Amino acid sequence: MLEAQNIHFCIQNRPILDQANLSLRAGELTVILGPNGAGKSTLFKILSGEIPCKYGSVKYNDRILCQFKPRQLAEVRAVMPQHSSLTFPFTAHEVVALGLMPLGHTYSPDLLERVMKATHTWDLRNQLYGQLSGGEKQRVQLARVLTQIWEIKPYPRYLLLDEPTSSMDISQQHHVLEIVSQLKKRNIGVLAILHDLNLASQYADQIVLMKNGLILRQGTVEEVMTEDLLEAVFDYPIRIWRDERHGSMVIGSLPSFHHHQSTLKIASSWKVH
Amino acid sequence: MSTQTLVAPKTKKQNRLLIILFLGLLILGFCSICLGAFQIPFSHALSIFMHQFGWDLGTFTQQEANVLLQIRLPRIVLAMLVGGGLGIAGAALQGLFRNPLVEPGLIGVSSGGALFAVIFLVFGSSFVWLEAIMGVFGLPLFAFMGGLINTVLVYHLASKSGKTDISLLILAGVALNALCGALIGLAIFYADDAALRNFTFWTLGDVGGATWAKVQVASLLILGPAVLVSWQFKSLNALAIGESEAFHMGVDVQKVKYILLLMSALIVGTGVSMTGTIGFVGLVVPHLIRLLYGADHRLVLPGAFLLGAILLTLADLLARTVVMPAEMPIGIITAMIGAPFFIWLIMNVKKIRT
Repeated sequence: MLEAQNIHFCIQNRPILDQANLSLRAGELTVILGPNGAGKSTLFKILSGEIPCKYGSVKYNDRILCQFKPRQLAEVRAVMPQHSSLTFPFTAHEVVALGLMPLGHTYSPDLLERVMKATHTWDLRNQLYGQLSGGEKQRVQLARVLTQIWEIKPYPRYLLLDEPTSSMDISQQHHVLEIVSQLKKRNIGVLAILHDLNLASQYADQIVLMKNGLILRQGTVEEVMTEDLLEAVFDYPIRIWRDERHGSMVIGSLPSFHHHQSTLKIASSWKVH
Repeated sequence: MSTQTLVAPKTKKQNRLLIILFLGLLILGFCSICLGAFQIPFSHALSIFMHQFGWDLGTFTQQEANVLLQIRLPRIVLAMLVGGGLGIAGAALQGLFRNPLVEPGLIGVSSGGALFAVIFLVFGSSFVWLEAIMGVFGLPLFAFMGGLINTVLVYHLASKSGKTDISLLILAGVALNALCGALIGLAIFYADDAALRNFTFWTLGDVGGATWAKVQVASLLILGPAVLVSWQFKSLNALAIGESEAFHMGVDVQKVKYILLLMSALIVGTGVSMTGTIGFVGLVVPHLIRLLYGADHRLVLPGAFLLGAILLTLADLLARTVVMPAEMPIGIITAMIGAPFFIWLIMNVKKIRT
């Protein structure tokens, strides 16, 4: 279990995070939702160990974060930050191969090929990273991060993703979350910051709602993703209805001049298309 | 095609390239030994070497042997060590700052080393105790301290949350270079005659003042750190995608930073104390390797050492032969090659960065 207790974080006496508690179980996908500036990325960086936390504690598998050496930490968790830029002309294959670093010499020879094929980056392997499109870069970075934890290990591990699908097209977005769902079965707990409410509702096991440095709610999709709560979090009218064919949740918003219209009307007008 | 078959030829190719560079350096070194104001035929040079190993071919004069062994060989070995050191230090600093424009001279490492070397030469009489303790290591270690102070200063001035701002970096370098230049002037202003003569010898020294004693110190203080830097190739590769990413992959970023800063300053400081400041080698060489053979630091670090050695040996050969029997300062030649390359680099930096 990845546990954060009473996390409190200030920048120049302005609280960014206040009394945040979070627990992440192996085998589950937890999605953090919240408006810009809610403190999502700061919480993410504290969990990953990138920012040291003065108040509160973070524990990986019951061991306090600061007792880990960087190398040991890399064996229990992999992290994909929001943006990664490269200064030197590395190929996509070289970038993904960096993910082998924490593994020592104990990986199977075709590991890179399997990960790159799973992330649809195998065909890009000989291209220079800098010449890839935004979505392709993101997939290559994802492949690098997944390489780190791809092979099955006897202890629970964690994968932290900060907006992993922000530059991807819709089919790639679903593809990434399908990979994540597969990874969960390998005793891996996944934490993702997402902005797409529908993706979150479709794949998450647990949702964390954040606003102004506070964790407002934490629970299952059904518990947390209600119109009232989402409206309160995002300060914007949000409508939820059920897709007739699959019974799953569809979450939508409209330009502000539609606000006076009734929910029912919007929902029915959308269904026509 | 499995990954192993994909990765293995890459390492093999890198090794082959390093061997080619090494052989190139040896051949160049041998030619360079024979050429100059005093020509030594190749066959004579060969028999001088063989004579050292106890195999007498007997086709050389004692004068040739003296010139070769006491003047040219130490000079060429020193040029190789300093050039290689500048190359690998440049590669390490570029990797560390995550910026292809970094160069020991540009960001003030060299001038810091030069300032401290001048202080040591001019006020040397006040440091008798230091010389007594450290002997021949006194000057290079003093220069190393100067280089280190400037490296750390520049790094802290230009870095914000793990990212170096290139404009701040250049500005900090300009400021420190100006300050060091002024302080060097001040030190010379206060120097007495004996110290001034010492100083003049040092600035004019180039690689011409090489002795075997110098070469011994240089090989210890340059080769050692160069090997240590080369071992960090994995960490430098990881640092290329970012400091936090490197940390996430298990790199102890702070430790790697300290090692690289210390070792680069030691290499550059030693080089500067032996030959004066030689510009552009540290900038040009890592780029040539990257442009030609890719950015993997497993190759870039040792490759930059070998190519730097080749470049400076070549520059030294030109310096000795172009205006024979006089000698041109080697810095002029490296700057004539390096400065146009630097301009080209600035014009193309956007393309290179992607």
